[in-house]
Amino acid sequence: MASSVAQKRLFHEYKNLSTNPPEGITAGPVSEDDMFYWEALIEGPGDTPFEGGVFAAELKFPKDYPLSPPTMKFVGGGVWHPNVYPNGTVCISILHPPGDDPNHYEHASERWSPIQSVEKILISVMSMLAEPNDESPANVEAAKMWRERRPEYEQKVRDEVRKGLGL
Amino acid sequence: MHDDEPSLNIPSLLTLAVVSFFVLRWFFNRDDSPSAGGRPRGRGNAVDPAQVDQISQMFPQLSTREIMWDLQRNGGSVAATTERILAGRGLETPPPSFQPQVAMPSANGPARQSTSVAASTSKADGQDLISRYGLSAKLTSESAEAASATPSKSSWAQNKEERQRLLQKRRDEMILAARRKMMQKEQGKAK
Repeated sequence: MASSVAQKRLFHEYKNLSTNPPEGITAGPVSEDDMFYWEALIEGPGDTPFEGGVFAAELKFPKDYPLSPPTMKFVGGGVWHPNVYPNGTVCISILHPPGDDPNHYEHASERWSPIQSVEKILISVMSMLAEPNDESPANVEAAKMWRERRPEYEQKVRDEVRKGLGL
Repeated sequence: MHDDEPSLNIPSLLTLAVVSFFVLRWFFNRDDSPSAGGRPRGRGNAVDPAQVDQISQMFPQLSTREIMWDLQRNGGSVAATTERILAGRGLETPPPSFQPQVAMPSANGPARQSTSVAASTSKADGQDLISRYGLSAKLTSESAEAASATPSKSSWAQNKEERQRLLQKRRDEMILAARRKMMQKEQGKAK
């Protein structure tokens, strides 16, 4: 029962994202047979070392979506970023349920709630790429490099952007 | 004088052989016993990547290095590592000199579910989007039609297969367009 609510909602979001896609974002279920498993493409934001890149991520939705948030993980090559775990999992406040705040700094309004959406998540991730949150890094080494050796960080990101496009 | 040479008489040689037999047997038994309860491991401290995967899926916030370090120190027990994390003790940061030795996943016996996990992670790791979505065939034909390709921004169909196709098309176009742009930019720089 609950999962059919989730399915309906996900289908609705899929439709909205297809008919009215936000700039630089493509997202949808890998197969409509499983609405709980999506794949998304995000363009790297302009004026950042991610510019020109395209990043693929998988989204896994819980059966009680939209009560609980999905998880998001970059696939196909790492994303070198302070808020992305080395295995690709994205760590931003909108993906955290309002109940638990493992980092003790997020406002409830920034965290997941059923009024958020896949589109808002993807847009948040896009702006996260542009502006890393230094407070609780998921990738400590990337955070350190971003803080202390910015040119090296930017070069590494640019190299990975090219690699991701098969160049 | 020669009769007094103690190290060469038969009884003491026998005793030595028997004692060393028991010492060696004890030594190897001790080495094997931790793995008897768990899964078979190679001798030495190699870490099973399937175990690392298993834990990092449960606790994505942990780095693989930390997990490997803990697994290596507790003799490859997933249960012990999980217990430790759940108890809130957290994992220690491995010393910088720590070089994880990764055991090759054995093809036999308990290779079980981990094969699918390993396959999906190897797909995820270090693969570019062109090969991931099988676009290499389109790279050559694509430059010709690039000019005529109109970006299909919004797309929705009543039919499920058609929707799937449209989504895939938008995805492919997005990747190919980005690649094209990047190549143009680089050519511009080279000139």
